[in-house]
Amino acid sequence: MSVNVLERNNVAVSGRGTQPMLFAHGFGCDQHMWRFVAPAFEDDYRVVLFDYVGGGGSDASAYDPKRYSSLEGYAQDVLDVIHALDLRDVIFVGHSVSSMIGILAANREPERFARLILIGPSPRYINDPPYVGGFERKDIDGLFDMMDRNFIGWANFLAPAIMKNPDRPELGEELVESFCSTDPVIARRFAEATFYADNRRDLAAVRVPSLILQCTDDMVAPLPVGRYLDAQLPHSTMRIMSATGHCPHMSHPAETIALISEYLQPATVSA
Amino acid sequence: MPRVVCDIPELLDRAPCGFVSFGDDASITLVNTTLLDRLGYGRDELLGKHVEMLFTRAAQIFYQTHLFPLVKLHGRVDELFLLAQTKGGEELGYLCSAVRYERDGLPAIDCVLFEVRERRRFEDALLAAKRVAEQANAQLEAQALELEMQQQLLQEQTAELERANRAKGEFMATMSHELRTPLNAIGGYAQLLEGGVYGPVNPEQVQAIGRIMRGQRRLLGLINAVLNLARVESGRIEFTLVDLPLGEIVGELAVMIEPQMAAKGLVYRVELPEDMPIVRADREKLVQVLLNLLSNAIKFTESGGGITLRVVVDPSRADTARIEVADTGRGIPVDRVEAVFEPFVQVRSAQSRGGEGTGLGLAISRKLARGMGGDLTATSELGKGSTFIVTLPRIDAA
Repeated sequence: MSVNVLERNNVAVSGRGTQPMLFAHGFGCDQHMWRFVAPAFEDDYRVVLFDYVGGGGSDASAYDPKRYSSLEGYAQDVLDVIHALDLRDVIFVGHSVSSMIGILAANREPERFARLILIGPSPRYINDPPYVGGFERKDIDGLFDMMDRNFIGWANFLAPAIMKNPDRPELGEELVESFCSTDPVIARRFAEATFYADNRRDLAAVRVPSLILQCTDDMVAPLPVGRYLDAQLPHSTMRIMSATGHCPHMSHPAETIALISEYLQPATVSA
Repeated sequence: MPRVVCDIPELLDRAPCGFVSFGDDASITLVNTTLLDRLGYGRDELLGKHVEMLFTRAAQIFYQTHLFPLVKLHGRVDELFLLAQTKGGEELGYLCSAVRYERDGLPAIDCVLFEVRERRRFEDALLAAKRVAEQANAQLEAQALELEMQQQLLQEQTAELERANRAKGEFMATMSHELRTPLNAIGGYAQLLEGGVYGPVNPEQVQAIGRIMRGQRRLLGLINAVLNLARVESGRIEFTLVDLPLGEIVGELAVMIEPQMAAKGLVYRVELPEDMPIVRADREKLVQVLLNLLSNAIKFTESGGGITLRVVVDPSRADTARIEVADTGRGIPVDRVEAVFEPFVQVRSAQSRGGEGTGLGLAISRKLARGMGGDLTATSELGKGSTFIVTLPRIDAA
């Protein structure tokens, strides 16, 4: 079973520490998105990367449309990986939708988790006055339309740069494999599970302390969403980053690393 | 000879496609005039701003979840479809190709945007057709699943029914056997009593013993019939099918039936065609069926009535011979005609006050007829009589 999960979710373990840091990718990409951040923690932690079933290098044949029709199914992937490696005191780092997936997993088995680090989290993307999620339903429908349109020319989209980078030798052989590739049907279902989700009711039950990394000018998870989460999560800390956008771990990795490190190892107060 | 033009930046500025350059933080550093004109912005309004502001809300998500991660990890993306939004709010479709590299020590993402109008209409139609096909497919899949479930349910029900039927047959056979043993003992000892084996019997005792023996015979008959039905239903009856001239059978029956007819004061008529057909049947079982029909007719027809045995050859059904037993009794209500073939059913009426019989005869007879490749049916009219019709496959078909 555990071996199957490790293959199924394309689990990669590295690092020289003992406490596990489990990095969970967001919608649209795979574990490669952590390559600018995760190595910084390998000295002190046991770094665990994985792909959700249906994404990246996971075993797509394990995809079950029913299980993955809601974020609970993805949360089960997180717990499956934790059980397969028998991880304890997990520092869970989730980007975007994985923040909510981590919360669902932590609510089911809180004893496994030490900290939750939530990058660009949102419990609900669609406005529900007075709650501000940032989007109207038609915006989300527009996203699905755009995905469908891009999947018409899927072959182009899937592997945009494979073997096409002779001018970037530093990326080396790794480019033979396609990053962020996913089956269009699975991607579409993941998008629906993500952007139609409403996890506001799951927040109050979170017992694990959490860090919210809120970017400046994040169009996907705007500031009011971060503030809402900070107010609702029982043991949360929010840091507003100078990084802009929705992917600070890719656009501003140094700041992201610094804030996570700071949260995990608070400076001792000088006398 | 054409004039050589070297001013690439100016060409880029006026090229028939949009060009925009931005950093990892999405801040715009360059934008060409073509794109500014199309989107209705001045250059100063865009420089330093986030490139996302050019996109619709949906495209902003797409930029953050697909375009930026892809270009950051791969160094380039090709032919992504994005919806841009003009300053005035109009949506424009663009195909976007981008490369990322370091320029002047900083990461730069250079992006060309081709507006797609005709292509978009074509893609709209393609998408609409695809969605219709997907919906139809989903519907078909759901239907197939439902059919499969129904079929499975039916199979389970059929298996269950077969099990129940087998159990019933076995139960009936066992019970019949278990009942016959003590009944035979009753009959045997009653006979011994009647014969004076255990001492002299007075006339009252003889009468009582006679009643015991009649009751015993009746019960035995009933049990034998039940056993027969169980055998027929469980398919344990074997048929010895032979070519059988119907004339022979009719003669045999007359001998067996005429005394009873005469005793009850009934008129027995036999109507035969000129060419008597030859059928494929089991002689013993055919006689059993016809005797059963004739006995019923005698039982249910009042004195003075008539019973007709008729052999009919229908030219339109040359492969089948028909033997009819018609009486002039009171008949069966039309809605009960089919019910008389159910086991244990007798159509109660003033006429059948005797209540003799097991209610199994017709059920067994029909099964025997069907076992020989024929059938047993009936027509009836209240007050005028009933006709029972045995059909059998004919082998001398003209």
